[in-house]
Amino acid sequence: MAQRNPVHCLLALVVTLLTIAVIFIGLDAVTVGFLQAIVYAGAIMVLFLFVIWLLNLQAELRSAPGYLALKAISGLLCATLVPSCSCFWATRRPRRRSGGCAGRLWIDRDARHDAFFRLSGAFEITSVLLLAAIVGAIALARRTPAPQTAAAQTAAASGAPARSEGT
Amino acid sequence: MVPMSCFVGLSAVLFAIGVAGVLLRRNIIVIFMSIEIMLNAVNLAFVALGRRLGSMDGQ
Repeated sequence: MAQRNPVHCLLALVVTLLTIAVIFIGLDAVTVGFLQAIVYAGAIMVLFLFVIWLLNLQAELRSAPGYLALKAISGLLCATLVPSCSCFWATRRPRRRSGGCAGRLWIDRDARHDAFFRLSGAFEITSVLLLAAIVGAIALARRTPAPQTAAAQTAAASGAPARSEGT
Repeated sequence: MVPMSCFVGLSAVLFAIGVAGVLLRRNIIVIFMSIEIMLNAVNLAFVALGRRLGSMDGQ
């Protein structure tokens, strides 16, 4: 039923992201569409591919066990979140202009002004989030078991052959 | 013109696929890919609503 090979999953995801980029361009969001195609399908997917190759990930044997009913209920709740929020915002705010934003295809001066001045708060919050992600990634990457290295050092000092115990 | 509900429905379907992937997979990379699918679903909802409302805030 499901793909077990991570590389096949990744290639399917690339196709999905390119399709979403085409939908973005069809929705007159040409900038976001091209950014989607270049950044997501180009850069991030190659990054994922290198991580898969570096970690030498194998195919999954079986899916995660247990709590299937709880997972189904929580997934259903999460899946109803997006359309409900969307409908809430669509009905709450009045339509400002009926013609859509077809005249503002690319990022023009107003959009840049919006992005760097009026929406600077959200911009800074995003940068703080990225900083937290960097710190978390470094903390995850540097995680070394300290007592085990001490035990290995004592074993090496006493002349015994160093055993690797469950690293 | 394609109606608005199509885009919101597609976004919901993508988000559901992402949630299912996060909940059912064990591989951490595949879980990250599912999170990417969810982020893209929300992006799609933003862009579709931004087009409907006639503003570029969603983009």
